[in-house]
This record gives sequence, C-alpha cells and structure tokens, in this order.
Amino acid sequence: MLKNKFYQAITLLAAVCCSHFFFTGFAIAQNGSKFVLVKKGTYSIGKKGHLLNPFRQYTTDSFYISTTEITNAQFAAFVEATSYRTDAEKHQNAMVFEPGLAEFRWLEDSTANWRFPNGVSRGGIEQKMNHPVTSISYRDALAYCKWAKLRLPKLEEWEIASRANATSDFTWGNRNDSLLQYGNVWHGVNHLKSDSSDGYMYTAPVASFQPNAWGLYDMYGNVFEFCAGKLPKYKNKKNIVHSRGGSWWCSARSCSFFNSVDIGRVSIYASFSNQGFRVVQLQNP
Amino acid sequence: MKIITAILTLFLAVQLQAQEVPLTDTTPIVLEEEIYKEPSKESKAYSKYREAIVEPSYGLAKIKKMVKAIKTKDEEEDPKLSSKLFNSLSIKEKFTYCMIHPESYSQNCDAMPPVQDEHKKIFSYLPDAYYELSLSDRQMKFLKDNKDSVLTWIQAIATQKNRVGLNFKEAITAINSKSIIPFLVEFYKRTKKDHDILTTLLILMENAKFKPHMNSAMREKLFGESGSWPRFVQLNKANTDLILKRAMDFYNAKK
Repeated sequence: MLKNKFYQAITLLAAVCCSHFFFTGFAIAQNGSKFVLVKKGTYSIGKKGHLLNPFRQYTTDSFYISTTEITNAQFAAFVEATSYRTDAEKHQNAMVFEPGLAEFRWLEDSTANWRFPNGVSRGGIEQKMNHPVTSISYRDALAYCKWAKLRLPKLEEWEIASRANATSDFTWGNRNDSLLQYGNVWHGVNHLKSDSSDGYMYTAPVASFQPNAWGLYDMYGNVFEFCAGKLPKYKNKKNIVHSRGGSWWCSARSCSFFNSVDIGRVSIYASFSNQGFRVVQLQNP
Repeated sequence: MKIITAILTLFLAVQLQAQEVPLTDTTPIVLEEEIYKEPSKESKAYSKYREAIVEPSYGLAKIKKMVKAIKTKDEEEDPKLSSKLFNSLSIKEKFTYCMIHPESYSQNCDAMPPVQDEHKKIFSYLPDAYYELSLSDRQMKFLKDNKDSVLTWIQAIATQKNRVGLNFKEAITAINSKSIIPFLVEFYKRTKKDHDILTTLLILMENAKFKPHMNSAMREKLFGESGSWPRFVQLNKANTDLILKRAMDFYNAKK
C-alpha cells in the first residue's frame, strides 16, 4: 500500500519534470489549463500602415500561454474557493446580446452575470461548463489570475501566440476565408437575425475549432480575450483596457477584430457576454 | 526497477499526449522593420476635429456638479444618476446629461480603427463619441421620446456653435428621424468641413431602407454584404453631391 503511494508520488513528480524539462512545448498548471511554450526571441508584430499597431520588432522572454480560454468550470472553482463576487453580480450591469439589435448595440441586463451570461431568460451555464467564462470584467479576470497564480498575456505576447510564427493578419494568411475552421464568429450579414451557421450563436466549448500551428485554440473568435498593457493612444485613460481576437459576435461587416492585428478597447468595469480571457504562467521558463 | 519503469511509462505517456497538438518550432521569424508612416497633419487634425463633442448649455453647471458628485461617491464604477435624481431633472437638463455623460458601456470593436487620410474619406459609421462608454437604454429612450424637442435643441446649438458635435450626430442616428435632414444638408453645404454629416445622412437612409440608396453601388460598398471593416468611399464632389441629393429625395419621399 505504502509502496503504491510511493510509486504514485514518483509518477506525479516525474510528470511535472517531464512536462517542464523534457517536453518544453507543454506544461499543465494547477488550474487544469494546458500551456504552450513560446520561445524567447525577437518577433515581428503589427501591420504595415496600421495606426494603432504598426509593424515592428518585439523582443520577449519565453513564456507559457494557455492553449484554451478559461472555462466556466475553471472560473467556478475560483468562485467556490473564494466566494468572489464579480462586477456584474455587484452592479447588475452586464451587457448582453439577443438577435434583432442594431450593429454594435447591446442590452444592459440586470440578471446577467457569468452564471447567466446573456441574462436569466436566455439560460444558464449548467450545460456549458466547458465554454469560456464570459460576462466578467477585466477586474474579475485579474482576480482570477491572482488566485490561480497566473497572469494575463501582454498585448504583444497574445499577438505572437496568435500568429504562431506567421507574419500575416491571420495565422494562415491575409484572407479571412478559413475562419469557419478556426473560430466561432458571426457569419450573418447583420445582427438582426440569429446566426448559428458555424454551430454556435453564442460561445462554443473551448477547443471546438482547429488550433493554430502552436496548438492554441480559439485565438480568433469565441470570446474577446483581455490582455495586459495599453496602447499609447489611451495611456491617460485609466478606465480603458484592451482585449483581442474578436468574438462570436464579430462579423466581417462589423468589427472583424478576429485577427492578429486589431486591438479592442473596453471599460475596465464592463462585463460583456463576448468577453473572456486566457492566461500566462507567472514564471518565465 | 519499478521506479524506472514508472518513469519510462510516464515519459512515453506524456510524449503521446504532447503529440495530440501539433508542435511547431516557435523560433521567431523576423521581417524587415517598416518605416512607420505618421498620418499627415491634415489627417490627424481632421481626426481630432471629428471626435469632438459639443456641450449643451442647458443646466450645464448643475449637471456637471451632479456627475462629479456621483463619481466621487463610487470610484469603483462608471456612475449613473439614480432614477430619482434623473427623473428630477427638467427635459432640457436631461438632454444635457445625455449629451455629456453616457451611462452604458461600448463594445471592444466599437471604435473605428484609425486610418490614413481620414480627411479624404466618407465613412459608413461614426467614430466612437465616448471611448469606452455609450448611451444607456434609458438615455436612448429619453432621446426618442422627446425627439422633436431634442432635434430642435441640436439645431439651435449647432447653429450657434457652428458645428454638429459627434454626440449630436450620435443622438440624431439614435432618434432616427428624417425631419432634421434639410438642416444637415444646408449645414454641410455651408460649412463643407464635417464629412461625418454625410455619414449621418447615409445611416438615416440605411436605417429606413430608402430604395434608391439600397439599390446604389455606394450603399453596397458601405453597408453591403461584400465589404469589410472599416468601410468608406472617397470624399469627392460626385459622392458628396450624390449623398446630399439622395438625402433630400429621402426627406421629400412620402414614406
């Protein structure tokens, strides 16, 4: 019995060692997220002619970034452990969507929060524990990171990871014609009618679509992902934060931020049902 | 021996797991750096011009004081006036409040990404008037419920200040009434400076699905299925004349 326990302990130790030292591509954190190693180096980021994100070289230390967005199950574990109340739960001001709204128009729903991302009347997350957590604010994402001993990716780290060594707008090139394979986005002409042509109107379970070449899922679409860092244009706006990658709401005709170049901005207090995050490990490998 | 076997087994297991996701070399590829081209002075000046909002004078000092008070009270959140306070305001004061203090949040991608030569383009959407904030449901309702008064005040203030602020254009598109079209057309013809007035006219025609607009090539480029964001047509006399004429046709049309 004791021997078995000993073997189990050794096995666990070996797993950690193997994932960190022998297979430098992957690691698994305590929160259950799987991580990909991005190597230290100088990467090309930005785009020629893009005024907010101009083409340039960026040097980074190596970092581990999660292969998927943080899920409802992972956030639930955090809430259970800490009794944390999100901004939307405190202020009843989450922004939700339903088909029929004009472009860029969202509804404020006092019943919406991460447990009911688009309000009570549009259903809860009971059957969606493997979907990304949404209807949380940037501050909520930071609280999760603090508890999980993780952090948000910097704007530049997110971009490097999303491109997976490509230098184009998308990881596969400059045309958006492969989105159906890689991401959960809005394919409708506008938002007056629902669109589930890719299988999902709101969020999809994480990793439902193809990963990029580095094994990262949902870098485009599903949810906008909060990032650390600030664009120079907004440096004096303390309430503005950024997120990237577009979401299930974004369509080619409105927004189209489901790419590696554009950078969204939102209030630090706002909780939208297309807003989530992925994480990076605190320690550089 | 068992320990070694366990480690080897695990070694293989982890290797197999790692192969589930294709691992590619993450060694960076670096391209030559671009020489960053600043937008021209004219483009930057116009960009700043079109983002400006105009403060109505009706009860302005009182409203600013109230907003400051609620901001001080709760620094944790972008504040709203309580229903009691909001309802205690006169109609004109409510208008001022709506125009200077949006209560709701705007979406990540609501802001149009900046582009070169902004001053030479007619866009399909207005810039974001309030950065991360936007008009709340109750503010939209107020503007719609009082549209005749609101449009009258907008015209009076725009005439007095010689500009239709971005917040006013947002209000006009929210109210979505064509009664203000002659004023906008005349204002643009006289000033020829704020091309977002043309955008406002385009949005009003788009919202009403005005047939001559819906069937036009310009509409397809600005709002149609084939275009992509950000969307614009070049600013030139032909496009300007066409929009102004079509807007007046829309205004004069029976429905």
